Amino acid sequence: MIVTAVLTAVVVWLLFYGTVATLPLGMICAAAGAGLAALGRHSHDGVLSIDIIAQRSRLCSVNPALKVCGCVGLLIFCVAADSVPVGVGLALAMLLLTVAAGGLPLHDYLALLALPAAFMLVSGLALLFSWEKSPVGVINLPLAGGWLSVTAAAQVRTLLVMAKALGAVSCLYLLSLSTPMTDIINVLRRARVPAVVVELMYLIYRYIFILLNMHRTMRDAAESRLGYDSYRQSLRTTGQIYGNLLALSFRKAGACFDAMESRCYDGEIRFLEQAKPLRPLHILTAAGLALLAAGLLFAGGRM
Amino acid sequence: MRTKSERRIFLASVTAAVALGTAATASAMHIMEGYLPVSHCLIWGVICLPFLVLGLMSIRRTVSDHRKSLLLLAMSGAFIFVISSLKIPSVTGSCSHMTGTGLAAILFGPFAVSILGIIVLLFQAILLAHGGLTSLGANTFSMAIAGPIVSFLLYQLGKKLNLNRKVNVFIAAALGDLFTYCVTSIQLAVAYPSATGGVMASAVKFLGVFAPTQLPLAVIEGILTVIIIMGMESYAKPELKEIGFIGEGI
Repeated sequence: MIVTAVLTAVVVWLLFYGTVATLPLGMICAAAGAGLAALGRHSHDGVLSIDIIAQRSRLCSVNPALKVCGCVGLLIFCVAADSVPVGVGLALAMLLLTVAAGGLPLHDYLALLALPAAFMLVSGLALLFSWEKSPVGVINLPLAGGWLSVTAAAQVRTLLVMAKALGAVSCLYLLSLSTPMTDIINVLRRARVPAVVVELMYLIYRYIFILLNMHRTMRDAAESRLGYDSYRQSLRTTGQIYGNLLALSFRKAGACFDAMESRCYDGEIRFLEQAKPLRPLHILTAAGLALLAAGLLFAGGRM
Repeated sequence: MRTKSERRIFLASVTAAVALGTAATASAMHIMEGYLPVSHCLIWGVICLPFLVLGLMSIRRTVSDHRKSLLLLAMSGAFIFVISSLKIPSVTGSCSHMTGTGLAAILFGPFAVSILGIIVLLFQAILLAHGGLTSLGANTFSMAIAGPIVSFLLYQLGKKLNLNRKVNVFIAAALGDLFTYCVTSIQLAVAYPSATGGVMASAVKFLGVFAPTQLPLAVIEGILTVIIIMGMESYAKPELKEIGFIGEGI
């Protein structure tokens, strides 16, 4: 978390260097970094925290087809629009929806945003810097007979890419933080994704939890026997646990198959689906979001 | 030109960024949501299609022949997801994960992996926020198609050449991982070519910023894959035989 905060401050500095005066810029960077460090709480209370949040979300009862179509539609619009206002506006709207309507604490939301932030910030560095023969940039560093510089054009482009990515991730988060996997798979089944793939998805989703439980038991057993004592030892333990996990999981699959056969499995798996009807308020919200995105594009223009 | 103190502050910030960049990547090689332009998302998706169709046909055939293989495939998919979501011991102290591409390709063969891979990537995007829906095509190509095919071919080649098994598995897994990282960097570079140097200069930049995490990770991935396969060969022979009929692996 601290690492991400400092990296954020550095990238913000590079992004606006030259367009904003040094002192206010320094303050903005410090504020961005400190805000992230203070607000985002990095927790490892389970691999699948997103899944738990989705099950608990107040938006869980909204019709899943609406959520999938709406979020994916806005996501594609955000990527296609190529506009900073659309990206930032959608990111704010999604934050508001997930936190206020979905009931997710702001801390947790920011901590989740920090996950993809690592990729965004590191590749942002690659987009910002370029090697030039002459010092043409806003910032120039001598390197190997040329200049490692940040040009104004690169700043504009990086800002656009990051705003787009932020908006898109926020749209994805609204979906994944409010829709349990089973609902999403059901929507895919309705959308005529091949039956084999849908069945595989259901089973994989189910088995993920079985495997994570098995892994936790094995890891605890190894840990209590000093299995992670040195680096070398911990590598060996990890490898052995993974191997054992695969072997055990195949034995489990065999047992599952026998159980299914004895319950008349005929090559097709049917699941019970909870009815989640469309409500006018939800449709209006979706339409409002679409209008907001279109309005932002119209008002802010492409850049 | 800037003043001396400003330059010094800037240099310090760059040093910090480079040092931190090496520690900040949690499975950084998934291209994130919204990072690629729409046209690139579509093109990578279309490139994946033939491989996915081949994979689907191969899976359909095995499932209709042996119904039990559906469950084995599902377990394999869950296994790939789980090992790619768990932290592994790493040198830099950052969170790093196995990609599992090499292991999966060696065990299940490249065709089954393409379908399992796209499902796992979709799950990773939704459940772990690694990768994304629009970048699904590009990520599928680099992680579920290109990387596994290289691993699989190298593994088969090594078997033909009678290479030591440990060395062979290590090379296949580590190089498959490296190839994935190169393909991702090139995908990013094609999407965002450098203004003066073009695609190549940009590719070098992306390879550069991700190298500090990806190079050691490829070695660790190779070592872990060797330990996993050796472990399974010594005490899970029947399970390995079962995998044999899923794909063209082992």
